Amino acid sequence: MVSIRRLSAILTYVIGLCGLIPLFPWLETAPRLILALAFLSGLWQELRGSWQIKPWMQNSAIIPVFLYYAVQFSRSNPVQPVVSLLAIMLAVRLSGEKTVRHSQQIQALSLFCLASSSLFDLSPLFLVYLGLMLLLVAVALVLLTFQDQESELLVSRPELRQVLMAGCLMPLLSLPLLLFLFPILPRTQMPLWNFLAAPTVRSSGFSDKVEPGAQASIGESRTLAFRAELIRQPPQQLYWRGTVFNRLQGQRWIRTEAVPSEQPLFGGQLVEQTIYPEPAASRVLIALDRPVSIALSRLKRSPDGVFEYQGSAGKRLNYSARSESKGSVATSRAINRLFYLHLPGPLPPKMKQLADDIRRRGTNDRERLELLEAYFRNGGYRYSLRGLPTGERALEQFLFETKQGHCEFFASAFALLLRSAGVPCRLVGGYVGGEYNEMGGYYLVSEDMAHVWVEALIEGSGWIRIDPSSFATNAGEVWGAGKPRSLLLRLRLTLDYFNYQWNRSVIAYDFEQQFEFARRAGKRLQGIDPARSLRATLPYLVLILFFGALLFVVRRTSLFSKREERILRRFIGRIERDYGIDTRQGQMGLLEIAEKLGNERASEFVGIYAGALYRDRRLTDEEYRRLRRILRAGFL
Amino acid sequence: MTVRNQVFTNMLETLSRDYLQGKQEVLRLSAIALLTGGHILIEDLPGLGKTTVALALAGITGLSFGRVQCTSDLLPSDITGLSIFNRDDGRFSFQHGPIFSNIVLLDEINRAMPRTQSAMLEAMEERRVTVEGVTHHLPDPFMVFATQNPSDQSGTFLLPESQLDRFLICTDIGYPPEHLERQIIAGGGIRERIGDMQPLVTADEIIVARRDVQSVCLSEKVLGYIHALVIATRADDLIQTGLSTRAAINLAQAAKASAFLAGRDYVAPEDVRNNVVAVCAHRLVMRNEMSGSDRGGVLRTIIDRIALPLA
Repeated sequence: MVSIRRLSAILTYVIGLCGLIPLFPWLETAPRLILALAFLSGLWQELRGSWQIKPWMQNSAIIPVFLYYAVQFSRSNPVQPVVSLLAIMLAVRLSGEKTVRHSQQIQALSLFCLASSSLFDLSPLFLVYLGLMLLLVAVALVLLTFQDQESELLVSRPELRQVLMAGCLMPLLSLPLLLFLFPILPRTQMPLWNFLAAPTVRSSGFSDKVEPGAQASIGESRTLAFRAELIRQPPQQLYWRGTVFNRLQGQRWIRTEAVPSEQPLFGGQLVEQTIYPEPAASRVLIALDRPVSIALSRLKRSPDGVFEYQGSAGKRLNYSARSESKGSVATSRAINRLFYLHLPGPLPPKMKQLADDIRRRGTNDRERLELLEAYFRNGGYRYSLRGLPTGERALEQFLFETKQGHCEFFASAFALLLRSAGVPCRLVGGYVGGEYNEMGGYYLVSEDMAHVWVEALIEGSGWIRIDPSSFATNAGEVWGAGKPRSLLLRLRLTLDYFNYQWNRSVIAYDFEQQFEFARRAGKRLQGIDPARSLRATLPYLVLILFFGALLFVVRRTSLFSKREERILRRFIGRIERDYGIDTRQGQMGLLEIAEKLGNERASEFVGIYAGALYRDRRLTDEEYRRLRRILRAGFL
Repeated sequence: MTVRNQVFTNMLETLSRDYLQGKQEVLRLSAIALLTGGHILIEDLPGLGKTTVALALAGITGLSFGRVQCTSDLLPSDITGLSIFNRDDGRFSFQHGPIFSNIVLLDEINRAMPRTQSAMLEAMEERRVTVEGVTHHLPDPFMVFATQNPSDQSGTFLLPESQLDRFLICTDIGYPPEHLERQIIAGGGIRERIGDMQPLVTADEIIVARRDVQSVCLSEKVLGYIHALVIATRADDLIQTGLSTRAAINLAQAAKASAFLAGRDYVAPEDVRNNVVAVCAHRLVMRNEMSGSDRGGVLRTIIDRIALPLA
């Protein structure tokens, strides 16, 4: 036996949690503390079975809180006070005795709390909480009606199962409505209230300048940078171009907007892709190196293959791009070599010596590039995020002493030496690599994959992509192409797939599309064409009819009857339809029916069914299958 | 499991085809009585073949047959037998009466005096006869075929309820259908042919079949159905005394035998329903104002109200 009271108390706490957990991170400290205390004290009193906190105490405690937040409320700060008040009201109710009335209030407040959490963040988890809460509230309401009739009611387990099933069925039946509302209701592309405070600042990764030697070590963040939907590419081609740094200022590589004009010649196979970047402060649009075109309005395109979005940053958007990924791009027009050879001042002597040596030994740009590559390859450099040289002499230290650094060291040193050796070059910032998610057919690129590499201008070939970091002795370990995928990673990819689908189909579902939909609907209404409008509404009609029929079936027959009852019902229905006889609702015996029909299959059915029923045993699986086959064959 | 009922279905088929056209139901009920070791009372007008049915059943089973024509001056010893002094031996020896047969026909049982009736009924129940301190066992199988004419009033002694309760089955025969009756008229009586009947069933086969009938499965569901029926008769407004526990036991036995004859090793609710009037109607005691009503009809309405256990 199970006590309804106890069960509904547990449900009430779970519902409370469902409402509080999503809201909790956005609350201020005081409401957080009150919530935690109230929840725990409620649980404690529940376990002890006595209630120290009386309703009048709760009611009188809420008044000053209400006044306090009423004062706090202003046009510039409308959300926090309301949300805090909601949370505290819920906390107060949770701390007291759970009467039927109070439980219902807790349910309503939890629902409000959950709804208000969507002002701050709209993640797929919200849907999970919402679904869970609706289900639980339905079940809890059913239980509460029982509790209302008799507070200390005990029910047996089978009865309880029926009650729970009925409770679960209610929200399921409302699903079709949800499907109907989904395309109609407007939704936001970003959290309603929290868009200013959205955590768009990135800890590591892509930035708008390259400055090796500024920090001794770098933390890696595995936060998602973007997803790129395209067919699988060879791993050595997975360079995602973001921005180009074309000028060295002291220790720092920056981008000047005055990019000399160039005319790239694209002739190879183009790769189609759709990019879903995470909202970020940067407006640079990422695409597979090197992007030929990006389809997005309000776009600024630079001659060096950098695309920038002119709209407001921090918005969730997606765009399709076409890229040529072979690693070198020819140019038709002569390029301003001096611009790409510019150096801010004289190099330290050791570096100057190395650059001069390369300039002397190489007869042309290509040979000089190869010489420098050989120097890096044989120099014993290691890729590392820790133990980085800092200060003014950071690059020199990296090159000749510590010989370990991250991609910025490799790329800056390489580009610096290349320029002083007389080869025009620039730095490209973006991402390298990516986890391919087979389920969704997209690459998952995280912030720790941010990368800087070098493009050198070689006479006759155009811009050639060189990744100096790949010359590190431990490059294989860092960018191991053949890394086996761990179970955890695969799980992460699967989870990410759902997140991706959520963003794609729910969050990024375009308001323009909705508007278009509404406009078309309006147009159709104007020129009423019965056939067309029928065709348009048919799917909905079918859906409604389907669920109506489902409801009818469910009402007529309990969904949870034994399979013996189900198959008998089908048998009798079939017989009544096929032969037009009336079995008088179970007043006609099975053998009597079989005898009356004189049908061999009906007799076999009855023989098997009655043989089991009247020997006091269930149908075996084999018998059940046989009966179903007979039913499928029909009796005519 | 196959049910070894071929001998009996064969017997019934032969009887109803060759000898007793149009009397399938009474033959089936007789077979049920035979298979459960019960007795049968046939209530109908004279000349409808009551006696012939009994004779034919005895003939086809090859069992010994005894007949008692009841009259008001019939004494118990006329049925049970009596001790007669044997002068040669110088002592009494017991002369077996007609009741010492496998099948005993008690014709017009309501004409016998209550004293004689009770002696007969005691023998039916106990399956033995005690005469002058010596107990004599009746043969096995033993079955009484009693008949009575319900329309006769003068000079008859109606069987009391307690004694009616000892009959497993009470049924009528009814007039045969028209075309069959014409055939019967054309063919004449069959009394002569019954004497030449070849037995199809032996006493041993009957005893084996009785054990088979006992082992027919009576499920909880059908048991519940029987019990619901018994309870319903006790609660009915028209009925003064409902069915006894013995009636319920007999109904279950009859249902088992009926299932056995139908070739099943389990009892279906139909087995109960098809036999309930024959087994139970005569045991109902109606209220005074209802005494003339059709007890079978009342019982049928009661059983129609009870849902069959179908799932």
